[in-house]
Amino acid sequence: MTATAERPQTTIFTRPKSTTGFWSWITTVDHKKIGIMYGYAAFLFFVLGGVEALLLRIQLSQANAEFLTAGAYNALFTMHGTTMIFLFVMPVGAAFINYLLPLLIGARDVAFPRLNALSWWIFFFGGIFLYSTFIFGTSVAPIGADGFGGVDGNLAAGGGPGSFNFLATSPDGGWFGYQPNAGPLYSPGTALDFWALGLQILGLASLISAINFIVTVFNMRAKGMRLLRMPVFAWMSTVVAFLLLFSLPIIAIALFMVTADRQFGALFFAPTGGGDPILWQHLFWLFGHPEVYILVLPAMGIVSEVLPVFSRKPLFGYSAVVFAGAAIAFLGFGVWAHHMFASGITPVAQAAFGLATMTIAIPTGIKIFNWLGTMWMGRIRLTTPMLFAIGFVAMFTIGGLSGVTHSIVPSDWQQTDTYYIVAHFHYVLFGGAVFGIFAGLYYWFPKLTGRVMSEKLGKTQFWLMLIGFNLTFAPMHWLGLQGMVRRTWKYAPETGLEPWNVAVTIGAFIIALAIAVFMFNWYTSKRRGRLSGLDPWDARTVEWMSPNPTPEYNFAVPPVVERLDHFWHLKYDEDEEGRAAPKPDMDQIVAGIEEEQLNPKTPIHLPNPSYFPFFVALGIPLMFYGIIYHTTTWGKAMIFIGGLITLSSLIGWSTEPLEEPHIEHPEPDEDESGEPAEEVSAS
Amino acid sequence: MTVAHDEAVEHGHPEHESTGVESRKLGMWVFLSSEFLFFGALISNYLIYSNRGGFEGVYPAQIYDIPFTSVSSFVLLMSSLTMVLAHNAMSRGDQNGTKTWLFATAALGSVFLGGQVFEFTEFIVEFDMTLTTNPAASAFFVLTGFHGIHVAIGVIMLLSLWGLSRRRQGLSNKGGLNLEMVGLYWHFVDIIWIVIFTVVYLLSTVPT
Amino acid sequence: MSVEDHPTHPTPSQYWKIAVVLAVLTAIEVAMFYVNDARDLGALNTVILLGLAVLKFVIVVGYYMHLRYESSMLSRFFTAGFILAMSLYAVVLGAMGIIAIRG
Repeated sequence: MTATAERPQTTIFTRPKSTTGFWSWITTVDHKKIGIMYGYAAFLFFVLGGVEALLLRIQLSQANAEFLTAGAYNALFTMHGTTMIFLFVMPVGAAFINYLLPLLIGARDVAFPRLNALSWWIFFFGGIFLYSTFIFGTSVAPIGADGFGGVDGNLAAGGGPGSFNFLATSPDGGWFGYQPNAGPLYSPGTALDFWALGLQILGLASLISAINFIVTVFNMRAKGMRLLRMPVFAWMSTVVAFLLLFSLPIIAIALFMVTADRQFGALFFAPTGGGDPILWQHLFWLFGHPEVYILVLPAMGIVSEVLPVFSRKPLFGYSAVVFAGAAIAFLGFGVWAHHMFASGITPVAQAAFGLATMTIAIPTGIKIFNWLGTMWMGRIRLTTPMLFAIGFVAMFTIGGLSGVTHSIVPSDWQQTDTYYIVAHFHYVLFGGAVFGIFAGLYYWFPKLTGRVMSEKLGKTQFWLMLIGFNLTFAPMHWLGLQGMVRRTWKYAPETGLEPWNVAVTIGAFIIALAIAVFMFNWYTSKRRGRLSGLDPWDARTVEWMSPNPTPEYNFAVPPVVERLDHFWHLKYDEDEEGRAAPKPDMDQIVAGIEEEQLNPKTPIHLPNPSYFPFFVALGIPLMFYGIIYHTTTWGKAMIFIGGLITLSSLIGWSTEPLEEPHIEHPEPDEDESGEPAEEVSAS
Repeated sequence: MTVAHDEAVEHGHPEHESTGVESRKLGMWVFLSSEFLFFGALISNYLIYSNRGGFEGVYPAQIYDIPFTSVSSFVLLMSSLTMVLAHNAMSRGDQNGTKTWLFATAALGSVFLGGQVFEFTEFIVEFDMTLTTNPAASAFFVLTGFHGIHVAIGVIMLLSLWGLSRRRQGLSNKGGLNLEMVGLYWHFVDIIWIVIFTVVYLLSTVPT
Repeated sequence: MSVEDHPTHPTPSQYWKIAVVLAVLTAIEVAMFYVNDARDLGALNTVILLGLAVLKFVIVVGYYMHLRYESSMLSRFFTAGFILAMSLYAVVLGAMGIIAIRG
């Protein structure tokens, strides 16, 4: 079969073939490109969520401030939480897992590349759908509720031209959407439909990813990569996938019930019709608690990768760390009602869930002690990723300690709805997950770009972030215990809460400065950073056996794994005392690996790009816009058109093979014209 | 010294099964295990609200037509038989048998759906029980409605497979849609109905 | 990697026999409904009907979905999801007062 033969057409449209250029991003099924897109999108939302937080902090820096109206405040804390959780931490986790998981297990791609692209596009459109609430959403005061937000059904005006009242037409039921407050009676208008349906779309994206990652880990491992030889990050990704798999269906039903109430008059949560608001809380937190482990376990995995490399020691108790991660996930399904201690559940339930919550401290403690044990007596290199990883361990421990105090029910009754809780979850989510994320970004930046990020800027960012973070969230512990109430747009001067609130706001702006430093570092290092070579950190795991930046095929020659920390053991022997000693020819070994991986000897067939994931995903938000406006003709039309686009794209997809026959992949040292130098037989 | 390499994977063949289970089959079983959480929530909703007294309007348990639902349950159950016969025919290379049994399954599934539509219409028109009557009714319609949507999606997939099977080259396992996977999905939809038929219809009582 | 690789595979006639069993079980279920109408069996009715449903469930999963002959990994995933769902929702039903919890 000659190289210039026509491409067989198995579908109506010509299959895209390019792997460079703008359209290649629309049609890509390459896990690395998909990971990159997730990463940039997530970071954009991180900045938006941060701006929302800064606006909140400006309002709270002064007692009785009128910077924001109450409605705008509610909308901002709702969108801040929703954005950070669903549009930042989860997708950035997806970015890491997408880019790295195949590399960590020695594979060329995930099990279902087109499904992977579908997840990304569904997320992308879901994020746009959710944020379009700022343009299209409406939010009016409860109809018929006198004296509540305005008798004529409009939100109270006021606060002056700079009061951001325009923000008040976005979802304002909190990220947890408690019913019936976020239901049709008390939150009429469309804003909360954008919220509920937006989350529905995002959940679908994550569920599809979860299935993909589970099958990938089980089926796509390189030869010799037994499950208990996988890097910890690969394990944590698997655990997260199971958490997503089993918790997302629950929230999907709950959100559907909310939509049914809001759009179709169902009575699931309507108290006047007999609906039960507690049912919402159960269903939401059945998802919501596993969700927080979804948020933090990837970062724990990153820390478990970074600490050993920069301590020059293997991870202390690899199996224990892996099993502790699985145990945290498993136990995490059993503690949801600790979010409901003050909601009127029975004493038996309170005791049971309090006890269950305490048990999670055990596997968490195992991990923390094992991380400390990893560093103990290691030869520590305080690079930026290492600083962030150590920061994670310290900050997450603090957050975990306040968490344990919540598990004691009477104590929790005092803490509930105060800033003490806000302090806890920001310590575990920001001091934990976000610090871990930055550790990972600095650590794996070379894989993406072939360069190293600036250490000077990195350390500047770290220290600014550590100081700013602690200045922001540590005072919230005592502010909360002094009685500062959450989710409330202002506080009176007599409470004496203002001074520390000023400190908190200053801390928040220091965090913002740190993020700006990071963005500058990312941008300049991409262009002018020091070249990394194959192994800039003297790492341990197989993803570093692939060249930097990662070639499209990942591994020219997939590794055959002989033991845990396979790459390390190729470079190092153990001396009589069990210490690592570099092999005499270590440099040649590493150079040899790089040379072999940069020069594949036979053409490598990769899955072809495809249009269909993009179009299947496109139909979904169209249908959901139609659901919001379903009482109008054009709303019904949108449902129909969206459904048609999705269905026809699915049918097209089902007839498209993953890999077209006889299409040759260009040799790495050729140009992008796609013409290989010689005939080769297709596999 | 270069690292040892895996000949079988070197040329980049995409199929790779460290577990020995085909990826799409594994993926479908993983997906189905998540569906227990999905339908479990719907069934729990129904159990909570259908056992709560004091609502206005008709409760679903007051108006069930057990003989009718028994027949449609039987129809769906038999569609699992035709499904597995289609799978069996394909594995023996019997393209005609595959086509016939696929069509039979889609037909039986459509009959079931027709029965559901009839039942819903009866409830709404005859007995004035709609989604908005009371929470028990809401829970009933959402549960059986979601199950019906799953059946409808299954019928669409079956008809797509049937359409593909009518091509000259017949059905193969290579395309994106795979008969074995659709079969697993179809049987799952059936076993959910086995649970619903018992728990929702046969065991439902009207609270006092 | 495909359907043909399985060591044992029920024959079409076995599938038909299984279908007859399922039909009979369904008939018994429906009959039970009327028996319970005539003579209220109370908890026994629930136990029998649930037992019959479980039986049908296991037969369809084991034979029609072929799980009995598949890798045990698939059974483990499937069972895990099932047990997780049952446990979580049992607790919710208990908390909402549908299942009585002593104390």
